[in-house]
Amino acid sequence: MKPKDNPMVVERYTVLDRTAHTIHAVAMLVLIITGFKIYAGWDFMSFHNARALHMIAVPALLAVNWILIPYNIFSVSEGGVQEKIAHFMDHYVFGPEDAKRLNAIILNFFGKGEYPAFTIYDEVSGHYKTKLHPLMKILIVIEGTAIFVIAVSGIVIYRLDWALLGLPIGSWILSAGDLVAPAFNMSSLQFYRALHLVMTYFFVFELIVHVGILEFNPHVWKYHKAIFWSGKEDLSDSRYAEIVKPKPKQLSDSEIWHESSDTPSEVVKD
Amino acid sequence: MSTGIKNLLHTLDSLDFLKLDRRTFMKAVGVFGATTFLGTYKTEIVSALEFAETKIIWLHGAECTGCSESILNGGNPDIVQAISKLNVNLAYHETLLAQQGLFVDGEPVNTSELNSELLVDELIEEGNYILVVEGAIANGPDGSGRYCVIGNRTFKELFGKAAARANAILAVGTCATYGGITCADSAIAEVTDYRGVAFTKENSSKGMLTELGIHKPVINIPGCPAHPDWILLTIGAVILGKIKIPDDLETILDQYGRPTVFFPTDHTVHENCPRRGYYDRGEFDEQIGGEKCLWKLGCKAPYSHADCAIRRWNGSVSMCTQAGSPCIACVEPGFPDSARPFYVEAEDKGVLLGANIDTLSKAAVGAATVLAGVHAVRRMKGE
Repeated sequence: MKPKDNPMVVERYTVLDRTAHTIHAVAMLVLIITGFKIYAGWDFMSFHNARALHMIAVPALLAVNWILIPYNIFSVSEGGVQEKIAHFMDHYVFGPEDAKRLNAIILNFFGKGEYPAFTIYDEVSGHYKTKLHPLMKILIVIEGTAIFVIAVSGIVIYRLDWALLGLPIGSWILSAGDLVAPAFNMSSLQFYRALHLVMTYFFVFELIVHVGILEFNPHVWKYHKAIFWSGKEDLSDSRYAEIVKPKPKQLSDSEIWHESSDTPSEVVKD
Repeated sequence: MSTGIKNLLHTLDSLDFLKLDRRTFMKAVGVFGATTFLGTYKTEIVSALEFAETKIIWLHGAECTGCSESILNGGNPDIVQAISKLNVNLAYHETLLAQQGLFVDGEPVNTSELNSELLVDELIEEGNYILVVEGAIANGPDGSGRYCVIGNRTFKELFGKAAARANAILAVGTCATYGGITCADSAIAEVTDYRGVAFTKENSSKGMLTELGIHKPVINIPGCPAHPDWILLTIGAVILGKIKIPDDLETILDQYGRPTVFFPTDHTVHENCPRRGYYDRGEFDEQIGGEKCLWKLGCKAPYSHADCAIRRWNGSVSMCTQAGSPCIACVEPGFPDSARPFYVEAEDKGVLLGANIDTLSKAAVGAATVLAGVHAVRRMKGE
């Protein structure tokens, strides 16, 4: 959507996108810090405060990831189910075009070639065709999986017999762990605690990649402002952004020549 | 004593013990120590026994006899008092009975009055007994069981014979329940092939009963050693018919055959550890001998399902962590492999080429940081 005052400024992130991202970021930071406090016994906070904060951040993170973000993804696109799925695939799933971009980015890292544009805006439809960095598309899938794994493992760490609506979810999780844990010479609970720790480290790793590699670049800082505050992108700054212009209308010979008074030079192409 | 326990005791005082339903009975068993339980209900227990005596055949396989020592160390009641109160005939127990094996030219001789080999055969022949197994059962080499021979026959053979005719089977100690130390990973583990009664480690399809084609339920009382209360109270409950075999087993045992009243699935030793307060404050001992939480010294209490920290040991006065030793998760099916190294934090175990999760993760995070730094510099320079 283009604001009326400046046609080159478009809405990159909706209010819901920004809200979701901010809650996600805060919850993730709280979970990492309090999680390491609980695990390593850091002495800057009491165990009970750390645990309480941890347990407040958990539902916030899960609600954002499992409710708000899916809602955003599927509500922003127009059309039926197929269109929504196509929008999801274009915007969030790593595809062949992303592979080409990622390849160019890696080559650029080693001093070969230009850094490719990863945000493509379609002027005809007035929507982005894609806007995420290809590395982010990979991370999103891994992160989604990691959030699921850390949530599942967290349940049994929180409470071994946790149940939801009478369903013994905690017991089911432990039983599932029993199928895998012996392969690692661990008990089920031990396995889940180790898994929880690995996933926590993954989020630290992801944070560094996301903030460090993707965003620690003065030319990308415009997206910081967009995701946390304005939601806007100025497409006149062409770094990393590409605009798909409307294709010139192809006129047939008869359309061009059927009035004898016209000359080819007077035909105005749209 | 908590209000809940007081209420329960009050309730039990006003009830006819013998009319308690199984659930209440199991609660009482869980709350009381064997001493309190047997002392409180001595008269009722004795008069309740419909049969004159219950025979117990207690077999020893590959083990250290620590579980027998544990039950012998159960001071009050001692084993004799418990046997008397429960009207039990401990008919066969290799380390306690007077008889011994007598062989001439490889054949057992004399009578069962003197020869334990004949005694056990006669008892098995008579039937109507509870079989208690202490120690793992060797299946190797090549399924022969010859790595554990007692008298002139393999323990595998004796166990199979006794198990086939038993009214109930109790596996006592982690060796009997899950193989324990005898089947720990080693260069010879595959050859010796030690098995637990119904499980080998976490695998129920590798229990010796399955190997022998005997399909009987088993109550597992793990521990290295098992707590005297766990053994006595379970035997008592079986004798009194409060645990009906096999009908009740599905509801009172966990998936590894342990009575959940002693080995709660929703509870770990860590939750009631006397050092728990230190954990909550983030105070950890860095070397043995301190008074703080032992987690960083490899304590496995957060992974161990047992009521040690509530019941305590040695007459309810102490327990491993209280005495300064990290819990080694001796009640868990994977013991000792899943608990090793005993004195290394579980998350510090090597997971890839000897490196632990922390090291690998820090390396990955460090590499990402360096990459991010290089990338940032290059982008800032406009390259």
